[in-house]
This record gives sequence, structure tokens and C-alpha cells, in this order.
Amino acid sequence: MPVDRPTFSESWYRVAALRPQLRSTVQIHRQYFRGQMWHVLQDPASNQFFRLNEAAHRFVAMLDGRKTVAQVWQICNDQLGDSAPTQGEAIQLLGQLYTSNLLQAELPPDAEGLFNRYRKRVKREVQGYLMNLLFVRIPLFDPDHFLDRWVGIFGRIFTWYGFVLWLGLVLTGLYFLVGSAGDLLAQTRGVLDPSNIPYLYLGFILAKVCHEFGHSFACKKFGKVSGSGGEVHVMGIMFLVFMPMPYMDASSAWAFRSKWKRIAVSTAGMFVELAIAAVAAIVWARTDPGARLNTIAYNVMFIASVSTLLFNANPLLRFDGYYILSDLLEIANLAPRSRQYLYYLAKRYAWAVRNPHNPANTAGERFWLPIYGIASTLYRVFICSAILLFVAGKFFILGAILALTAVVTWVFVPLGKFVHYLTTSGELIRTRPRAVLSTLIVLAAVFTAIGLIPVADRSRVEGVVEPVELRIIYMKEDGFVTGFMPSEQKVTNQGPPLVTAQSRELETQLKQLQAEGERLKARQRLAQTEEIAEAQVLAYQIAALKKQVEQVEQQIENLKLLAPFDGTWIAPDIEQTKGAYLHRGEKVGLVASLDKLFIRATAGQQVADRLMSKANKSVQIRVKGRPDMQLQGTIKKIPEAGMRRLPSAALGYAVGGSMATSPDDQSGTKAAEQFFEIHITPDENSAVSLITGQRVIVRFETPAKPLMAQWWRSLQQLFQRRFNI
Amino acid sequence: MVAISAAAVSAEVQYLIVIALPSTTWRMLAQPRAGEQLPKGLDAAWDRAAGITNRFVPRRQRFLRRAQRIVDLEKQFAQINDAQLRQKASEFRDLFRCGRQSPSDLEQAFALLREVAWRQLGERPYPVQVAGALALEAGCSAEMATGEGKTLAATMPATIAGWRGRGCHIITVNDYLAQRDAEWMGRIYRFCGLSVAHIQQEMAPAERRLAYQADITYCTNKEVTADFLRDRLALGRLRGLSSALMAKIADGSGRGTDRLVQRGLHYAIVDEADSVLIDEAVTPLIISGDAPNPEQVETFRQAVELAKELQSGRDYHPNHRYREIELTPAGKQRLADLTQPLGGLWKGVRRREELIVQALTAGAFYLLDKQYVVDDGKVVIVDEFTGRLMPDRTWRDGLHQAIEAKETLQVKPPKDTYARLSFQRFFRMYRRLSGMTGTAAEAWREFWQIYHLPVVVIPTNRPCIREYLPDVVFTSESAKWSAVVAEIIRLHQTHRPVLVGTRSVRASENLSQLLRAEGLDHQVLNAVRHAEEAQIVAGAGKADKITVATNMAGRGTDIKLGRGVAELGGLHVLATERHEAGRIDRQLFGRSARQGDPGSAQAMVSLEDELPRRHATHLSAALARRAQHDRRISSALTRRVFDLAQRRAERLALRQRKAVLRTDDWLDEYLGFAGRER
Repeated sequence: MPVDRPTFSESWYRVAALRPQLRSTVQIHRQYFRGQMWHVLQDPASNQFFRLNEAAHRFVAMLDGRKTVAQVWQICNDQLGDSAPTQGEAIQLLGQLYTSNLLQAELPPDAEGLFNRYRKRVKREVQGYLMNLLFVRIPLFDPDHFLDRWVGIFGRIFTWYGFVLWLGLVLTGLYFLVGSAGDLLAQTRGVLDPSNIPYLYLGFILAKVCHEFGHSFACKKFGKVSGSGGEVHVMGIMFLVFMPMPYMDASSAWAFRSKWKRIAVSTAGMFVELAIAAVAAIVWARTDPGARLNTIAYNVMFIASVSTLLFNANPLLRFDGYYILSDLLEIANLAPRSRQYLYYLAKRYAWAVRNPHNPANTAGERFWLPIYGIASTLYRVFICSAILLFVAGKFFILGAILALTAVVTWVFVPLGKFVHYLTTSGELIRTRPRAVLSTLIVLAAVFTAIGLIPVADRSRVEGVVEPVELRIIYMKEDGFVTGFMPSEQKVTNQGPPLVTAQSRELETQLKQLQAEGERLKARQRLAQTEEIAEAQVLAYQIAALKKQVEQVEQQIENLKLLAPFDGTWIAPDIEQTKGAYLHRGEKVGLVASLDKLFIRATAGQQVADRLMSKANKSVQIRVKGRPDMQLQGTIKKIPEAGMRRLPSAALGYAVGGSMATSPDDQSGTKAAEQFFEIHITPDENSAVSLITGQRVIVRFETPAKPLMAQWWRSLQQLFQRRFNI
Repeated sequence: MVAISAAAVSAEVQYLIVIALPSTTWRMLAQPRAGEQLPKGLDAAWDRAAGITNRFVPRRQRFLRRAQRIVDLEKQFAQINDAQLRQKASEFRDLFRCGRQSPSDLEQAFALLREVAWRQLGERPYPVQVAGALALEAGCSAEMATGEGKTLAATMPATIAGWRGRGCHIITVNDYLAQRDAEWMGRIYRFCGLSVAHIQQEMAPAERRLAYQADITYCTNKEVTADFLRDRLALGRLRGLSSALMAKIADGSGRGTDRLVQRGLHYAIVDEADSVLIDEAVTPLIISGDAPNPEQVETFRQAVELAKELQSGRDYHPNHRYREIELTPAGKQRLADLTQPLGGLWKGVRRREELIVQALTAGAFYLLDKQYVVDDGKVVIVDEFTGRLMPDRTWRDGLHQAIEAKETLQVKPPKDTYARLSFQRFFRMYRRLSGMTGTAAEAWREFWQIYHLPVVVIPTNRPCIREYLPDVVFTSESAKWSAVVAEIIRLHQTHRPVLVGTRSVRASENLSQLLRAEGLDHQVLNAVRHAEEAQIVAGAGKADKITVATNMAGRGTDIKLGRGVAELGGLHVLATERHEAGRIDRQLFGRSARQGDPGSAQAMVSLEDELPRRHATHLSAALARRAQHDRRISSALTRRVFDLAQRRAERLALRQRKAVLRTDDWLDEYLGFAGRER
């Protein structure tokens, strides 16, 4: 039938004569969403909610256990005309109410059906857990009684004077924070220090417990004020990416009529956390750095402010921010409906399905739903991959299992369902070729984009800046230092000397030798007249002595140390050597060509091969920690042999470099794996000047390859490295 | 009419009925009220895989070997006298009643039954019939060609079921066959100490009750389902055994349990299983009552009048492929203007558009003699699949009334539904089910997925020598029909009898005209003239006969070859269209070359037939474009198009039937508060 909503249903006879009614415990709350009136049905026993529009509510509200469904339907039709529910819609509505345990008929409940539904639900929950190992919730106990007892005190937080107090506290905290902003930044670096993690976690749990109680008390408080609802019956532990943290179920707040109260309950957690952060800030500012209390306060402050704002306030995840946003926009079930709306758009415009169900009720929703749908989908993909990569990095096997389940649940199951839908759905019966074709075109486009179009294939390696020439200057002779060139001076190999020393010993020796020479010369003159043969011998002796003298003179000359080449004299400790006696071979400083630098980069085996054979000789260099500095360079040489010893400890993993070092090595320069060294010279004309010892990131470009090929290679390498295949 | 078998019940059986009564009622109540839900997701995939694996079980060989062993036992029983045979049967009865039989006991029992059949009917089941009986006993769907003695084969598992004491329903196609078989085969059952009865449409509840109490009950699918539904209505709100017992304790009454006629669904053997379990599967059987509503009747008349005011193209677009009417905005406006003075139901926009769309649909897509015939002032639906008349069926949602108004017949207001059940769901409720039919092999998938019946193809007693000629394909219908006439003339000149199958009543009338124009003497058989059908079909095998029939006309009737026809090459069957299911084609072809006779079959089809048009739209259009003008384009490729379209149609039909079942499951789950399906 081409009629959108056929009036009659052939299954009507099954319900027509019944006299069902809502369960007596069901509470109905009237709420407005975007100017439309809705009725929210709440089952206090199970805390389930069910939203009805005006027409449906009229129908349901008339079911009083005396009138039959057929009578009620007739009345609805008379009163509401075309907007009255059709028979099919009425059946669907009754069925949904019944399966949500909101409806009772005069028949005794179908016990078998009840049990079946229960079994199904349990099965679904277990499946949910297995499919979603990263977010497991375990309910533990019912805090309602506890909350009731204390809401009189803690509920005051959510009053106007409570708010003023809170504002004062937060402002004080901010004041202290601003006062010691310098220390704040200094300590930031240590937050993720391994030794800090236990405190961090402790602070985290503390903050989150208060956060959850904030929600619960707010829910209680506003429930009391509005005289209905506000019950909190579940408290438990949630394992978020295996990290246990507390949670409470304050969903009964959804029944509040005023959206501001609902928003207040959603924000209460962050509200409390910010207060805690303020207290922690005061404590931190007033305690000595280094004290344990100081550390804890710092961590609590960090968590209760930064993590809360990043995490809870983010509306793209299903945390507080999401509920706040959905109440602010007055769009209930924002996330699922935004997804449905995207499907609707695809069905309507890409597949030309006739009369697809449009989940948007108002113009405003048509605007917000697609925006939220796209943003949250992209964000989910991003956050899920990030979590997976993180877990896979930490525990490989577990990560692989998780990745597998994730791939199955997030890719294959939806894909399978989608294919099933595409091939068998009755909705598509007439536009199937078009639907299949348009889907294939999109798929083909995506595949071409990532599978065929080559994209620059870049890889990054780390390196250190070193001078091209560097000579360590050693003492050549023992001696007392008499003069030296101060450090950091430009020097040339012509002089002046870097260090001058004096050696009495050598001077004495010289003098002795000179005296001996004089003596021999005197004897020679004597012998020339007396005995020729002896004169001959003496001539030899004199010649030998002369050589000795020259040698000593050379040694004395050597006490003046000259630069071996033009460069910069670096000897930070030279001041202390003044007048000291230095032995031969002792290091006094070094001379380096600081204006002629090159980069020694290290590449693991994974990249080395590509670098050697295919890489573009021209590379990009960025200084680590200074992303604004960028310059070009050229690969000069790649020594072919693999190495184990890193050119600098700075490249090692232990101090933040990218090369894994072997754990048994104290110096931190022995790489865990063989690597290759690459020599790169920065281009002359670059504006940025490098400094020796800087760590840089060198970006190589190898011939362009499609993204898919690149990913596949990375994945293979990941597995290969882990399993040594 | 009192069932013959009920009058001849032995004292012993009478005793049994009296005793069995209450307990069978309770047993019926204890029975699960719905078949198992269809599996979903991975379970469904697993179930399908199981079905595929199941096909590799060599059941056929196993049954044939076992049948041979049973036949080998012949001597044992041939020598003993009737009294001893009766005694032996009584022993078996005790054995089966207690469920203590061993596999060899079953063989012995079958051998005994063969002997009983020989002594009572003068027919001794062939090994293939025994194999078929074994397949039925094993809960399979047995494919046995027509004329191979399915009726006789069914007696063996039926007797065993009768001995078990829980009743056995043998489902036949019509009341006539139910009565005939019950009477004919009754002698075997009675010899074995069992009572037999059959159900007729006009029987009173008391008679029905008695008939269902018999050990073996012959009935039609319609009657047995209707009785089941009436029982459910009688039970009212009693959900099952527990609530019935509670009611009994509370007020001592049976609260309707004494008005029940059936005693539970234990075992059924379905004859023509493919037509009952598949073709008619989703047709719901409805128990309804009159709901006189003169205002509504008037509305339907007005709708037809208003529909005439609207113009195709301007006010609405008919969509022939999906048989739908789409109102244009202009049409909607015009309708609003036209209905302004009418008031009543016409006030509601949705309701009035619905009514007018129905009237337009009735006018544009439902044609006299194609979708329905007018018989005795009533609109009678013609099954488009088979060409059979369906006098008990009505179209839904007021369409039937719209057609009645269009034909200016008396408009009968829609009835109130009291209870409703599709055959599919009904037969899934049986604890044990088996089926027999001439054509099951093509539908193995559906038999497995919906009923968990493996299909076993039983060979014919004498090898089949039917000659299948390859399909002849034409671009257009006109080319096809002239070729059909030419072919009939050619065959007629050889004096061979020809049976021409058409798909609709209209097509058969058209062909008849063409033949008359050629001066050919022929018989037309369509569902409209159902009275003398069986005789005409039976005579279609005589030399020089030309018979034009819709496919299902006189199904189940044997066509015996006339004298000398076998030498001419036997009956030639000419199909003028391929059907949505390969089974139906084979049913038509199967009318020739029965029981080892010679015969041949061929289909002549065109690209303008409904099958390629609906299920291979683009392909057939492309082929037609390539061929350019009317001509014969038979080739492997064009034939393949028809196979493809047929496979698509079959798959689509299965999917639709499963969807219906799923929707019912959904309703059951969601309408739990309304009690189980009535």
C-alpha cells in the first residue's frame, strides 16, 4: 500500500477487546522539548523511561482498565482525527509498553513470556559486557537510604547560598593558583612521572567518588524539592579501560520537569570536583614543595579540574557533558537519534527510499542532529583507535584481543548487519539497485582514496646535532698551567695557544743538556788539537745531544696547546686548572667547529631499509620541543653496517628519546636493537641555526604509496616485532 | 454426515475414546502454544549450514535398502492366516503404544502392513512406496511422483502413529480426497485395530470431535486449522494446562474444555506438502464474524464513484511493477474538493486518501478473469500462482469491498476477525510432521529452514522416460502465442495428445480463441469450470486430444494414455509460461510420462512474460533491445535469464514467507498481554 500510515492492521483483533491499563506504579511526567509537549513514563521499580508524544499519550491515558482498546482507539480517532495513532501504531505502542513492563492487562501476566524476556535481557547484558570489555559496569549496592539520611546536610550545596560559598571557594583557589603560577608550570612536567602515578590514581578515585555523590545528592535534593523522583538505587564500579572508578545511577533525574534541574544534576559532579580542586589548590599553595601532602594536593587539583573538564564536560562522549548538551538543546536521546537521522538522510537522498521514518520532529532538531551525529561518530572513531593503540602498546596480547573484538563489534557486526539490510530489507525493495549502487560508489571512492591514490609516505627518526669536526684537547706534557684561553672563544690553528703550561723539569733538563753541550764542545775543541779520534767521537756525541735538546725544546713548545683547526674552544672547567699541575694525556677541553654542524640520526631496522634505498635525499628537520623551527637538510651518508651504540644518550628511550635501550646498560647508550646511523647536513641558507647537542626530528620522504599499503606495512611490522616472525 | 469409520468403531476403540477423552484434553492444553521461533543471526546461519550438511546424508539409499529388507520379509507374513495377522498387529500395537519398539520391529510392522494392504486392497506396496513410507516415518518430506501411490504409502506411518495412540492427521488437498482416502484405506487401519475418520466441511462439532478422537483422521488443512482456532476461541483466556487446571479447581467447570474438538497436534502427514506448506503457507486462515456496517458499505460505493472522477497521470500515477497508486498533490487537492460535501469518513485526510487509493488500485490492477472471477454474484479470488479458484479467500483492508463495489455487486462489509493463523505457523506446531509431494526437491531450503524437514527424493517404480525439450524463447508475447498455436498444429497432425498449460484463466481463454480460429477442436479447463475438471483431465491422454488448462486444474488426477498413444510418443505437455517456482513448472511437466509411459514436455516463453518482467527486469529489457523485433531468440543465454529470474523469485518468496513468520513472532512477544495467538 502506498499509504504512509495505513489505518487498519490485521493484527488488531488481538488487542481490540482487551482492557489494559498502565501499571499503578507508573509515574507520568509532563515535559517540553522544543516547544512540544511530551509525556515521560517512568517505572520506578526498574527506573525505565518511555517518552510519548501528545497523541500517543492521549491514547495510553485513556486506557483505564474499563474501556476496551477498540473503544479508546475510536475515541482517539474522533478527537484527534489524522494525528490519532493508527491501529498498527497503537499495537506497536502497547507492545513496547508491555515489554517495558509498564502495562498490565486483565489477563494474568504471561509468566513464560516474562521469563523469556528476562532471559533475553540477561543474555543481552552479558553479550554487552563481552562486546564492550573497555566499559564494564558492575552494580554493587543501593545508596538510596544513605543519601536520604544525608541529603539534609549535603543537599545544601545545591542552594543559592551553597552556590555563593562554592563560588567563593573556587575564586580563592584561583587566587592562590595565580599567585604561584610559576611553580604550577614547573610541576606540570612531573604529573605523569611514574613515581607519581599511585598518588595520581588515589586523587582520581577521591575526586570521582565526590563527583558521583555530587550527582546523587543533587538528584535527591531536586527530587525532594519537586516532590517526585530523585531516587538513586545503584552504585557500583565501572571499569573504564580496566581502570576501576565509582559510578552511580542518577537517571531518575530525567523525570524532572524543568530542564534546568536536569542540567543541574548533570553538572553537579563537575561542580563538586571543581570545589575539591579549589581546596586542593589552596593546600598546595600553602605547603612546602616536596612534602607528600603537597604532591597529593597537586595531583588532586590536576585531576579534579583538568580531567573533569576534558573528560566529563565533553559532550561527544556519553558522560555528563552529553546529558547537559541534550537537555540544553532539548533533544532527548540525542546520540541514537542523531545516528538514526544520518541513516534517514542516506535513505532519503542517496537511496531514494520512499517515506523513510524521520526521527527529527522540529526544524531545530534537523539542524542539530546531523551535526552531533557526524561529530560524535568521528570522535568515537578517534577515541576508540586511541584507546586501542594505547592498550595494544601496553599489553600486546590483551590489546590484540581487544582490537579483535573491537574490529568484530565495531566493523564486522555493523557491516554484516548493513549488508544484510541492504540485500534483504523490505524497505529497500524498490530502490535496492540504487541503494546498492550508491553504497558501492561510496565504498569505491573510499577505497580509491586509501587504496589507490598514493600519498606521501613519510617517516620520522630522531637525531642529535653534532659538529662536523670535534677534537678533544689533551695535555701533551706534564706541567703547571700558567695561562689559558677562556672557554667559548673562537680559535684558529695559528694561535694564540689555548693553554700554556710550564714545566720546570723540562726547563732544567734543557739547561742541563745545554750545559752538557757546552762541556762537550769545549772538550771537542781540546781534542781537535790533541787527538783526532776522540774529537770524532765527541762530534757524534754533540750531534746526539743536539737532538735531545731539540726534543726537549719541542716538549716545552708542546706545553703551549694550539687549536688543531679553526673552531670554538670549549672548556667549561678551565678556570679551575689555573696553576694546577696537569699530567700528560689529561683532558683540558675541546675544540669544535660549531658553525659547521651535521646531524646524526638513528633509524631502527624498520625504516632503515626504505631510507637507504628509496628515500628522497632532501629531508625536513624540526627541533624537538620547538615545533616552530623547521629547516631543510640533505642526507650525506648512511653507513651500511648496523650499530648498537647510540651516538648520544639523548636518543635513548630512558630520557625520552625514541630508541629503545637495553635495560642492562647503565650508560643508556646501548640500543636494544640494531640500528643504522644517518648523517645529514643542514642546508646552508636556512634561517634557523642549530645548536650542538640539540635533539631533532628528521622527516624523510620515501616515494608516495597509497595509505592502505602504508597501514598494512605498519601493522605487519607491529606484529613482526612482537612475535619475531 | 457421520463419518463411516466412526459408525464402525469396534468396542475396544470405543472404550479407548472414553478413557482417552480427559487426558487428551489436558495433553492438548499442555502442548506448547506456538512453534519455536525462527533462529536469528549466527544461529540462523548455523541452521542453514546444518540444512546443507543434511543434504549429504544418503537417506534415499538408506530407505531403499531398508525397504528391500522389508520386502524380503514378505514370506513370513504371507503364510499366516488373517486371525494370526490381526493378533500380530495387536502385539505391535502394544509395543508401539509403550514406545518399546526396536528398529527391527518397525521393519516387521511395515512388512505386516504390506501384507495387510495386499489382503485388504489387493495392492502390495512396491519397494519405492515402502521407502517413501519410511521417509515419512522418519519425519522427512518425501518426493514421490504422482501416480506412484502416495496414499497407500502414507498408511504405513499413519498406522504406526495410530498404534502410538496420540492420533494422526493426514492432510489432504480437498474434502473429496479426505473422504475417498479414509474410506479406501480404512480397511487397512481397521484390520490393524485402529479407527479412522475424516472431516468434512459441513460437519457439526460433535461429529468433528468424534472424528478427531479416531486414531487416524483424514482432513484438509483448512478444516484442521479452523478447528484448532475454534478450540482456541472456546478456551478463551485459558492460557494453558496450568490455568485450565486452576479454573477447573476453582469452579469445577472445564471452562470450555468440554467444547474442544481436537486432542492436540501430534503427528501429521501432509499430502501435496509443497502446496500446503509452501505455496499457501502465509495465507492466514481467519475465523471471523459479520460486522454489519451500512455506512461503511456506502463509503466503498462512493469511493468507486469518486475514483472515476480522478484522472490517471494528472491526479494519480499507477505503478504497474508494484501494483500501487500514488496520488499527486493535484489529485489530493481534487479529492479534498470532491469530498467536501460528503462528510462522515471522508473528513479525515488520511482515511479518505486510503479509501480512494484502494478504489483506484481495485480499478487499475485487479482485473476480472485474471486476479478474480465473478461467480454467483461473488468475487472469487484466482490464485495467480496456480490459477486455482480460492472461494474462501478475501483481500484485506477493504480491497475486496472496493472490487465488489467496482463490479457493482453487493458489497459485504469487512468482517470482524476473531482468530487468525497462517498455515505455516499452524503446521510448525505439530510435534512431528512429515510431508509427501510430487515436487519437493527444489524447495529443500524452505522445507528445512521453516519446518526442519529434510527432503528425500524417492525414485519412481519404473524409470521415468520423459523427454525434456529445451525452452523456446521469444521476444514478445504475440510471437510466442503464434508459435504455440503452430506447435499445437504440428503435434496434432501426428495425433499425439497435447496438454497446454496456461498461467491465468485469461490466457487460457485467449489461447482457446486462437485455436478456434484455426478450427482445432480442443477442451478448455480452467478453474472457473471446476465441476467437470477431473474427468476432462483424465481424458486428456487420448489420441488427437488438445487440452488447454490452467496449471492446477485437476491436480492430483492421473492422465491415463489412450490406446496407441504410447507408440506415438505419449502425452506432450506444452507450458506457455514459466512460473515463479520451478516446482510448479515441474508439476505441469509431470503430467506426462507417468509410471514409465513415454512423454515429452517443453516450455515456450517470451521476454514479456511476467516472470522475466518482474524478476529480471533489466536483463530481459536488454535482451529485447538487442533482438529488436519479434522473433525467436532461444539460446543458452536467454534460457539462463529465465532460470535466473526463477531463482530470484524463489528466493524472494522464501524471504517474504520468513518475514511473515518473524513478524508473527514479534507480535507474539510484544502482545504477550493479549494472550497467545488465537
